[in-house]
Amino acid sequence: MDSTTSWGLYTVFVGGLGTLAIFSFLIKENPFYRFFEHLFIGIAAGLGPMLVVRDFLWPNIIEPMLGRTITVYPDGTTSAPYQPLYLLYLVPMLFGCLYYFIYSRRYSWLAKVVIGFTLGASGALAIRGFFGEVIPQITGSFKPLVVMDQGSFMLAESLNNILFVVTLLLVLNYFFFTFGREGSLQGKAAPLGRPLLMVCFGAFFGSTVMARLALLVERVQFIVIDWFAATKTLLGLG
Amino acid sequence: MKGRRLIYLAMIVAVSVPVLLGFSLPPSRLVSAERMYSVVDEMQVNPGEVAFVWLDFGPGTLAENEPQAQVLLEHLFRRRIPVVLLSQYQQAEAALQRIPKEVAESLEREMPGQRWAYGEAWVNAGFRPGGQIFIQALVNAPDLSKFLGRDVGGMPIAHYPNFSTIGGVEHVKLVGEITGLVGVLDNIIQFFQKGGYRPTLVHGCTSITIPEAYIFVDSGQLKGLLEGIAGAAWYSEVLKQHHPLSDNSRLLVVNTALSSAHVVLIGLIVLGNIVALWGRRSRRPNG
Repeated sequence: MDSTTSWGLYTVFVGGLGTLAIFSFLIKENPFYRFFEHLFIGIAAGLGPMLVVRDFLWPNIIEPMLGRTITVYPDGTTSAPYQPLYLLYLVPMLFGCLYYFIYSRRYSWLAKVVIGFTLGASGALAIRGFFGEVIPQITGSFKPLVVMDQGSFMLAESLNNILFVVTLLLVLNYFFFTFGREGSLQGKAAPLGRPLLMVCFGAFFGSTVMARLALLVERVQFIVIDWFAATKTLLGLG
Repeated sequence: MKGRRLIYLAMIVAVSVPVLLGFSLPPSRLVSAERMYSVVDEMQVNPGEVAFVWLDFGPGTLAENEPQAQVLLEHLFRRRIPVVLLSQYQQAEAALQRIPKEVAESLEREMPGQRWAYGEAWVNAGFRPGGQIFIQALVNAPDLSKFLGRDVGGMPIAHYPNFSTIGGVEHVKLVGEITGLVGVLDNIIQFFQKGGYRPTLVHGCTSITIPEAYIFVDSGQLKGLLEGIAGAAWYSEVLKQHHPLSDNSRLLVVNTALSSAHVVLIGLIVLGNIVALWGRRSRRPNG
């Protein structure tokens, strides 16, 4: 954040006030916190649609359709001829607008056409994405249990791969519910997957705590360095 | 209630002391971050080829993702690899504008006389909605600069010499995805490929998503990974080893403050368990 200009100083000052307001919840619920919480939600909700219109719809869809991307030179010639094909954008836009018929009892079936199309397209994308993402992971799990490098046995890599494969099989087995497993070897092995999953959840929890602390560090750094300096300058003390 | 506030206070003190004193410890070596450094450092890039860096983060994960974006961009800029910046996330707007500018200014201060100008070192293609559909269309476009159209300033991307002849996706040598959001990395992994060509993919993730990201490192889909602040800190340290004037002092202070908070947290967990055990034992009826 540029804190060298007066606009930048005020931005830092308001940012620091917002941080302190949200942190004040740690003491107890209070109006200062409530005000900034609502302010943040309002800004986040308003920013999204505005950015979609400003950065995407207007420059990439509306302006080309209106021919506003074409420069007209003083002699009357243009930088490029108008492309009437841009008007075809209107077709999917109007089709998408049918979604708003969801508010009409009589014509809500029109919205269902759009929803059906969206579900079909999403389903097809998900299937394609599945193969792009999961197949390399399946092939990546085919690891040699005995790792050799230039004729010598690599103990650490081999143990690593054995641990990986055993964990994979035990956890997959834990979630295998197709057959009755009482008394079978599969049934006896199933509980072994549980502690391995607990290790995984522990790692997730630890990393979540780490992420939250990282946010705290950044905010503390912002308050004690940037905000104090900006406040001092604004009050004429720095 | 009072005890909880004391814990908050202990955490704030643990974090504030290194920040106030500017105290820093050397970061731990992280293999994935080091591998990412090597991938970027050894990459052969010909004229007309570029790197795509997606900054998919907003204020919520800025603390971890911003240092990652800084170190990756610093390295790409040092290597003079042209970067196309874009995002799948609306709230990344400020980061897309500010971070490359600050990195370029810091490099210009370090090396007076050299320039990293907008339009030469990087272009900002801005927020692009559509997720999977957009990426699928992007990789199938015969000319990426034409497909992307205009940058955030309204200038055609093809207008900038370094980006006028990108051609198709096979001219994208590296894709960097810096995010803490669920799903956006999957969009890149699933769809940023064409006809068997997959650019080298590196990723900066928040600490929360480290366990998920490791799956992709293990399968070879990710060639490098920055694990939260610690990953960025080690990457910056490797950068400093190769470029001694690179300034990573602020990042190392943050990393140290984080470690200090971890030590206090572990101490509190141990203390809490001892107190709980003690309490249980003293409540147990005698005999």
